[in-house]
This record gives sequence, structure tokens and C-alpha cells, in this order.
Amino acid sequence: MNEATALHDPILMEVFSNRLLSVTEEMGHTLVRSSFSTNIKERKDCSVALFDAEGRLAAQAAHVPLHLGSLMGGVQAALALVPVEDMVEGDAFVCNDPYAAGGTHTPDISVVTPLFHDGRVCFFAANIGHHADVGGSVPGSISGQSRTIYEEGLRIPAVHIARAGALEHDVIDLIALNSRDAVERRLDLQVQVATNERGRELVADLIHEMGLPAVERALDDLLAYTHRRLARRVAALPDGRHLGEASLDDDGFVGRAVPIAVEVEVSGEDLTVDFTRTGAQARGAMNVAPSATHATVYYCVKALLDPDLAPNSGMFRAIRVVLPPASLVNPDAPAACGARSITCNKIARALFRAFAPLLPAERAMSAGHDIVPAIVYSGPRPADGEPFVYLETVGGGGGATLDADGMEAVQMHMTNTSNLPAEALEHEYCLRVVEYALVEDSGGAGTRRGGLGIAREIAATRDGIVFSARSDGHETGAPGLDGGGEGARARMLYRRRNGAEEELSSKPSRIVLSAGESIRMETPGGGGLGDPGARPAAALARDLADGKLHETNAYGEVLASRARDLIKRARLAQDEDGQSDGF
Amino acid sequence: MPRVGFDVGGTFTDFTLSDAAAGTLTHVKVPSTPDDPSRAIGDGLARLLAAHGAEGRDVEFLGHGTTVATNMVIERRGAATGLLTTKGFRDVLEIGRQTRPHLYDYGQRKPEPLVPRRRRLELDERIAADGEVLRPLDEAAAREAILELREQGIEALAIALLHSYRRGEHEARLAELAAELAPELYVSVSAEVTPEFREFERTSTTVLNAFVGPRMSRYLARFAEATAALGIPGEPYTIHSNGGLMSIPTARRHPVRTALSGPAAGVVGAARIAGEAGFGNLVTFDVGGTSTDVSLVHEGRPLATSEREIAGYPARNPMIDVHVIGAGGGSIARIDEAGGLKVGPESAGAAPGPVAYGQGGEAVTLTDANMVLGRLGASGLVGGDMPLDAEAARAALEARIAGPLGLTAERAAAGIVRVALANMTRAVRAVSTERGHDLAGFTLVAYGGAGPLHAAEIARELRLARVLVPREPGTLCARGILVSDIALDFVRTEIRQATPADWPEIVARLQAMRAEGEAWLDGEAVPPARRAHEMALDARYLGQNHEVRVPWSPEAGDLDDFLALFHATHRRVHGHALDGRVVEIVNCRLRAIGRIEAAGGGEALPRGEMPAPVSVREVYFDGEHGWLATPVHDRGGLPVGAVLDGPAIVEEMSATTLILPGQCATVDAHGNILIEERYR
Repeated sequence: MNEATALHDPILMEVFSNRLLSVTEEMGHTLVRSSFSTNIKERKDCSVALFDAEGRLAAQAAHVPLHLGSLMGGVQAALALVPVEDMVEGDAFVCNDPYAAGGTHTPDISVVTPLFHDGRVCFFAANIGHHADVGGSVPGSISGQSRTIYEEGLRIPAVHIARAGALEHDVIDLIALNSRDAVERRLDLQVQVATNERGRELVADLIHEMGLPAVERALDDLLAYTHRRLARRVAALPDGRHLGEASLDDDGFVGRAVPIAVEVEVSGEDLTVDFTRTGAQARGAMNVAPSATHATVYYCVKALLDPDLAPNSGMFRAIRVVLPPASLVNPDAPAACGARSITCNKIARALFRAFAPLLPAERAMSAGHDIVPAIVYSGPRPADGEPFVYLETVGGGGGATLDADGMEAVQMHMTNTSNLPAEALEHEYCLRVVEYALVEDSGGAGTRRGGLGIAREIAATRDGIVFSARSDGHETGAPGLDGGGEGARARMLYRRRNGAEEELSSKPSRIVLSAGESIRMETPGGGGLGDPGARPAAALARDLADGKLHETNAYGEVLASRARDLIKRARLAQDEDGQSDGF
Repeated sequence: MPRVGFDVGGTFTDFTLSDAAAGTLTHVKVPSTPDDPSRAIGDGLARLLAAHGAEGRDVEFLGHGTTVATNMVIERRGAATGLLTTKGFRDVLEIGRQTRPHLYDYGQRKPEPLVPRRRRLELDERIAADGEVLRPLDEAAAREAILELREQGIEALAIALLHSYRRGEHEARLAELAAELAPELYVSVSAEVTPEFREFERTSTTVLNAFVGPRMSRYLARFAEATAALGIPGEPYTIHSNGGLMSIPTARRHPVRTALSGPAAGVVGAARIAGEAGFGNLVTFDVGGTSTDVSLVHEGRPLATSEREIAGYPARNPMIDVHVIGAGGGSIARIDEAGGLKVGPESAGAAPGPVAYGQGGEAVTLTDANMVLGRLGASGLVGGDMPLDAEAARAALEARIAGPLGLTAERAAAGIVRVALANMTRAVRAVSTERGHDLAGFTLVAYGGAGPLHAAEIARELRLARVLVPREPGTLCARGILVSDIALDFVRTEIRQATPADWPEIVARLQAMRAEGEAWLDGEAVPPARRAHEMALDARYLGQNHEVRVPWSPEAGDLDDFLALFHATHRRVHGHALDGRVVEIVNCRLRAIGRIEAAGGGEALPRGEMPAPVSVREVYFDGEHGWLATPVHDRGGLPVGAVLDGPAIVEEMSATTLILPGQCATVDAHGNILIEERYR
């Protein structure tokens, strides 16, 4: 062992970690390329990972942060079902249950495959994919108003999906029959099994090249290195305990706000994230299963302290998470937890807030919109009259940092999925996009202002289009930091054909639209950072000239008139030389 | 008759002159002049002609690649640009796909739009997805909008309306109005730049084209003047990012297509040279000072993509798919806070450069590690113009890397090379095995200053069949221009189901596009005998949102033949096919090609006896080998048919080639070095 680095061989470790990344990248490619579900293929709502024989995470390619470490529960469930020494080459396991198998919600199905060398298990290949539907009371299996997990479709504990190299078709048939699209489920499950098989070949190559002892040493090094790297970052923070808070508009049923409170404690190299003060579990599906709560914590720590840190058990070992029982972040069965992503983003808001006083000024960020507003339109398809379901989660304003305004119109935290282009949407569905724009005046005021939210207004082009949504941020806006102002709140408007407008709650269900009627969603802006009075006049002038801002009250009359003056002078300068880029 | 190709890079402009009759290849390198690139072009061409003893009027062909447009975007030095778009959609350019560029790092931001919001104006007009005009264009308002943008001092105007790929008349009318009201403006129209659906990407491409348009037009005009002043007759060509040549009028209309064209030219050159040597399945491996460019060539064809970005802005024109990573000779090695050894992506660049350059660089680089291992000779680069300081490299490496790791200098240096190779290997896997290709039948074509130094190890680890090092590997991009065809890519979105009712429309569209391609080839003055058209359809199963590209022409068969080919292609690319499912056509594509006359070749190559090595030096190899006395050869003296057993080193002006123990190199009939494993 090397004295200076406490690693066996830092060179071999680096070579090995590149190889592990290649393996998970190639597995991820296989999964995305071959799957059929839109969620996996287009939105990349899936992850792949490698674990060692003890169930330690060696490497993960997470396409959405919600899956950080969330395959671990599946591997543990498989190990609980069959002791590692009784596993047979060619076995594979499937599971999804948040309570019985460490899942996060029922549509996320995991497949875990033990990999053998010389007759014993040396690694596990695992992957998770968001399936479009696993049954339950609504298409897509997620509704904010589900009261128990039984309304969220099929629950799968860890069971064999392959035995000694042969697929368990009975199990696949059982899962498929419980879905609204049996054909897709069958295809996707087989792709998930094949993805791990690709992992098997790649790991076999790796062991063949390096030899198992060298692989095991390099993995020990990698986990020790990752742990140490994060511990160093934690040690560099001042000791202390800080509270961060956020709240949900409701728990799935209108009228009851749900508080989230999390305390972060730094003591030397030790980092504790304590949710003891977070409230009771929700009546609806806003609950977060423990593996999703952990994923949210891992995401925040990585984003705030070391964005390039490799996700593996060495990282997780450096963080202690305390979850109270029967709470929003650790519900008791059979609480529903399908709509957890909005809650996860609010947990991230609370964590970013709690970390803010610990971080160097240039790392802190004010709150962004921090929701995952999902809109769902359904009806018959123009091409063939078959039913369509169009789901999109809409971005909003980003948080501000010491050196930059919040980004306009981005996804925050646990999700980063794309929009559907208007030209694709209008071709595929009986829908027309009326407006897709930034929400003016929505960024919280500050030396650096919050990013602007998105307005997305979509009209039905025939009668009988059904609209539902799961959103939040209607009751509280994104708070500012260090004197920055609050970002604008979310709104949803139902525009009738006769011109009447009706403001909707954050979770409208099954509104039937006639041709020409539209729903307009305006997502929240980000919070500002620092005293608005200290905003550079040129930045304010640019916002005014761009029409991103009209209301200057928060900035004070002196600053506003300086900004207007700058605009006038820029116009004059332009008259003189015919060329101006402004301020 | 001399043929000239040159590549205008950010630092150097490289020239190559090929004279088939005389059997010579001549190279000249001059510093670029970014303020007015045509100065370096004029100087370099004059020097090149003088070196070859030729006159401008002798030049039969002149083609060039340029990073001028790319740099303009990176540095945001393009024209003040305005955008006219459909009511409700002015912010599409700024919203983009609503994603943040990095999942975890909030320091990485979406790039600021090239057109600020105050110069993005909306027009009251609307076309539906099926082409129906829902609201006619309000011409009075359009006139006002054009005048207002003109007031704001714009020099270029982008016009991008919703569904214009389906029906372009509103855009065309706006272009007419702009020509009438503000004839001085450079105008880009989305249905002409890239008539493809998905509004953000089409708008972004159109804006990029407008943003670089005015300055590229001036640059191209000065370029044409510079060549005319040298008496060079004929049309000078510009290479585009999909590896084809365009005339100056085409380049002025589509300047965005010149972005990222330098690496594309290198891939074309590599594909042509390897093809002549008999190899069609290739991984190209171009290692420079700061980056490594890797791409895949399958059966002689470079892989293309329409998904690339220029400085974070999507550009939808087809480009050769080049995968870039931050690993090169200047990549910096360091030990991080937790004791890990990292190499790159930070680079010492050309200044101060590696420690061994003696220009004040203090950080240990990959080049310094290669010096310590004896792989790079002290006489250094560029034919000894720049002597290298091996002792300084060794001292820095001992102090900064070897000491803290408790290793000898050579073990630490070998570690740095291994870590860099691990990054490069991962890039090669990303373009090959991750896309389902088995590397066993592939050739690694190594070029750039540092490609041939690392190729042998990459090929051994990934078990490629061989390495091919072309002659003058440092100038391959300029030579690629000499072997490129005149070519332009056309696309039309035509979303229709592949049914007997709609199929004739598809066939008619392809035929119309072929006529469009013919008209363009007329304009480029390509004689009919040299013309070719390659067509393809992008299609998907109904309900999918991603397409598979299927090569197809009306002569290839009927609808059933197409469907069979689509299912087979889908199965190959995605692993499954759904035989009963309705298939939807999305885009029709055409590449119009004017084949150039077989160029290059015929250069005089040394024949005869194998000369003795010019020197023998100690070189460090991994594993059981350690230091080995290694013969060093001068590439210029190696005759056709020469055989070198590894370990061996071959040096030439622009690169050093390393051959490992257990490998064997031969010089083929074209002067390429082929490296293979002696035992398999």
C-alpha cells in the first residue's frame, strides 16, 4: 500500500474506473437503444449499475438523479431471497416494490443479475427502467390522489425472471397482463435482462484482462478513494448544524400544506442529514420511499460539494441519513408513493437551503422553481383514432448564484427531461400550442435575479380531449437567498371558448376540453440572490430592454432610472455608429 | 498539375500541394492570422508555390477547410442578428429543450442565445402541422417588424416560422419584404437552411447561419481575391462538416456548414488513404495538443450525425460524427486531494506548453511523460526546430508525481501514459463497441501530432486488427481536402405513413429532391458523368419519437421492399422489430455528389534496401520489459516493403510512431506504416 495516498495502486485504480465507466455506459446504451417505453427511450428515465458480491455499488450510470443508489435495494432484496452461494449462473431477478424490494415507485422496475467467475458470484449487473404503465387506477399508474400503493399497480417483490439461463415466461406474462400495454412490457423486460447479459460479457472481459485479484484490489481502492475525496470536502466545511425548510402545497388532496424540514450537521469529516423534523406521511401519493429520499440526499451532496464525484458505495458511506418512521420521507406500507418526484425536488430545495451557510459564497444557490409539474393530455390520435396519452414535465426558473442570474426555463434537481417540440406535438395529437414562452417578471429580484419560468398554453383541436396535471408551487414561490426576493408562483388557467378564464388548483383531474379551449400553465420563477438594490444597472437595463422585466419596484427608483438612462444612451450610440450591442 | 488543400486552424494554417505528375507532396505551415485569415492564406500559398517551383496559374484545384465560423460562434463575434418568428414562439430560442447542460454542476450554464430577446420579434401568422394556413401573414406588421429590427442595428436576419418545413410561403414572403426594405441585410430562411421539423433545432441552425453569414461572406470574398491575386484559375472550394466540397456561392448561403469542418476533412482523408490500402472498417484516432478526436468509418463511409452542437448551440446540418475528449500531448497530470492520479482535461496548450518545451511550463504533461520514457526524442518536434529538455521534464515529474506516489520516475511516467490511454480507450469504445461494432476487424488510423505515438497501445488493448499511420500524419486534414468529393446534403421533412396511399408522395418527393440536387450540381459545374445521388428515408414506428435512417431510392424497389428493409434496419439498430406496426416516414434525405478525379497517389516513394537505424536509444515499456535498447528510424528513408520488429521508433517531421515489443511494422506500397501483432 502506498503511504502518501493510502491506495494500493492509484494508476491501476484510474484505469479500472475508466473501464467500469465504459461497462456501465455500454450497458446504458443497450438499454436506451433497445427499449420501447417512451420513458426509457426518449426521457432516459433509467439507470444501470454494477455491484460487487457483497452488494457494494461499484459504478452507476444514472441518467436521472432519482436513481442514484436506488438499485441497491433491489440487489439487497435479491440477496435476501437467495443467499449468494445458492445463486446459479444465468439467474436473474426482477422487483419494483418500494416496501418489499427497496424500489422508489411501482413503474420503476429493476432487474438484477449475478455475474460469476470460477463458479462464484463476483459482481451483480443491475438496471432500472421507468415503465409506461404497470396497472393500477389510472393510465401511467401515478395519481396524486392515490391513497394506497394498491392503487398504483402491480407490486413485485424480488422474484426470478430467469433461472439458470432460461427466461421465466410465467413471470413476464404475469407482469405484462397487469399492464395497459402488455406488448411493450414484454419487450422492455426482455431488454432489461439482455442489458445485464451485455454487462456479464463486458465484466468477463475485464476480469480476463486484469485478473480477479487486481480487479478486487482496484475496486477497494476506488471505494476508499471516493470516500476519502468526499470526506475531505466535508472536512473543509465549517462545523455546524443548519436547518433547511420547504413545503408542499398539499399532500395530494387540496387544502393541507406539508412541511419539509431537514437538518444538515457537519462535524469534522462526518456529514449527517437528519429528517426528524419532517412531517407525517401524506394521504395521497406525495410520499417518498426511503431509497428515493437517499437518492435525493446523494444528488444534493454531489451537486453542492463535488459534481464529478463517482457514485458508488464509497460516496454513500460518507453520509449518514436519519429518517423518522411513518413520515413523508419514510412512509409506512401501504402508503402511496407514485408522485414522489415533486416532493424529492422540494427536499432538494430544503437541502440546498440548509447547506447554504456552510458553503463558500460562490457555491451557494437560491431556490429554483423546484417542482416537477406534469401535464397529461389524452384523446384520440389524428392519424388512426387510437387513444394517445401525452405527458410532459415543464421546466421553470433556475436559482441564482454569486456570479450569475438563474438560468431561464430549465429543469431542476432530480429531473432533466426534454420538452416535446410543438411541431412534433401538433403532428401527433389533436392539440395546438398557443404559446411557449418565458413568464415575464417571474424571476425573484436580487443582485442576481432568479431565472424566468415557462408559460405553456396548449389548446384542443377537437372536442373530448381530457386534461389532468400534478403540480405545485401555487401557494409558495421560490424563496430568495441573502436578501434576494421570492420568485413568482405557478398558475394554471383554463381558457374557455367564450373567453372566460378559470384559475385551476395545482392538481386538476380529468378536465374535458372542447375544440378551441386551452390550458395555460405558468411555472414558477427562481428566487433572487443578494440585495436587489446592488444589481448592476446594465443588467437591469438589459432585462428592461428585453421585456423580461417591467416591474422595477423591488430595485428602487434610483437604479431603475439609471437603467432607463442606459437604454436611452445605447439608442443614441446606435444612431451614431449604426451598430450597438447595448449596454 | 498541382492540387492544393489547406486547413485554416486557430493557431496554424497547414498547406499541402500534391503533384501527381512530379510524384511529390509538399507541405507548408504558417501561423494563422485570426483578424484576417486571408493574410495567412495568401502568404502560405505564395510560399507553398515557391517551395514547389510552381506558378498560381498551374494550380488545377484549390480547396480549404476553416475554423473561422466555429471560432466566431465560440467567441460570439458574429453579426448583430434579428429573428422573425411566429406569434407565441419568440422564446423558443432561449428555452431550447428546457434541459440544463450538466445534471449536477450548476456552474455549467445554457449558453446565452445568439439573438437577445429584444431582437426576437413575433408575427401574426400561423401554419398548421398539415400545412393549412390558419392565419395569413400580416404584411403590414411584418414590414414594421423588419424596419424595427433595422432600427436596432442588425446586420443579419434569421426567419424561422412554425411548420415552415411543411409550407414555406410565409417565410419566403418575409425574405422578399426584407430584400425590399433592407437590402443590405444577410438573410437566412429556415426552410432553406434546414427544412426539417422540430422548431428549436431548426431555428437555432438558422440563427447560427445568419450570425456567421455576413463575416463569412466577407472572408470568402477576400479569400477569393487572395487566390485570384496569385493567378490561381478556377473556383476555390470550401469543405463542409460532412466532408464534401462546396463552391463559394454555396458556402455563402450555408456558412454554418463550414463549422467543425477541419476534423471532418481529416476523417475523409483517413478513409480515403485507408481505403486505397485496402481497409474499409476504421477507427480514426487524431491526437493533438489538447484533444483527441475519434470517429468510426464503416465500410468506407464515415458515420454522420445531425445531432451535434457548435459551442452548445444545436446545428442540424449533417456532420461527420467526431467524438472529442480532452486528452492530448499537453494534458496535465496531477495528484488530486484524495490521492488519485488524473490526466487532463486541463491542458498546458501551446503556451506555456509542456515542461520540456522550456517556455515556462511547470505542470507535468503527457508529452513530458513520453520524454522521460524515451518515446519522444530530445531533438523534438518539427524536424528539430524545437529542441526538448528531457532533464527538466524528468525533474518536474519526479517532484510532482513520482515522489508523492513513491514511484520511480519511469514508473510514474508510464502511469501517466496509462491513465491517458485509459481515457482514449474509453473514447474509442464509445464510438465502436458501444454502437455494436466488433473491433477485431477494424484498423486504427492514427494521425495528428501525437496519434502515432499512442496508437500501438490502443490497438493492443482493444484488439484491433492493425494500426495504419499515413505519411505526414500531422497534415492529414489538409490532405483530406484533396481527396474530398463535391457534395451537399438536402433534407425535407415529409411526415406520412408508409402506406400504399401515401407512398407515391414519398417517391415524388425523392424525385423532386433529385432534381434539386441536379440543379445544385449544375451550379457547381460538375459534368454529368461524375454525378451521383445518395438517398435515404428517416422512418419510425408510429408513436415513436426517434427515427432510423434507411438508405433508399425510388429505383430500389416498392413499398414492401422498403418496409422489409426498415424492419431489418430497426432490428439491427435497436435489437427488435414490430412487424405488424404502422411505419411512419419522417424525413427524405439526399446527398448530391460530384466525384473528383482520383487524386493523390503516384508520389515517388523510396525503394531499395532497408537503411540502418539513425540511432538507438533506451525506451521504457510496461510490464516485464522495462528499459529496452530501441532502434530509431527516419521515416523518409524507409523504403516500400521495409519491415520493423518492435520495439522500434519511427520519426518524421510532424509525428513519432511507436512500435511495441511483440509487434511488427511494415511499409506498404503507398508508404503507410502498418503495425500488427506478431503473434495472435
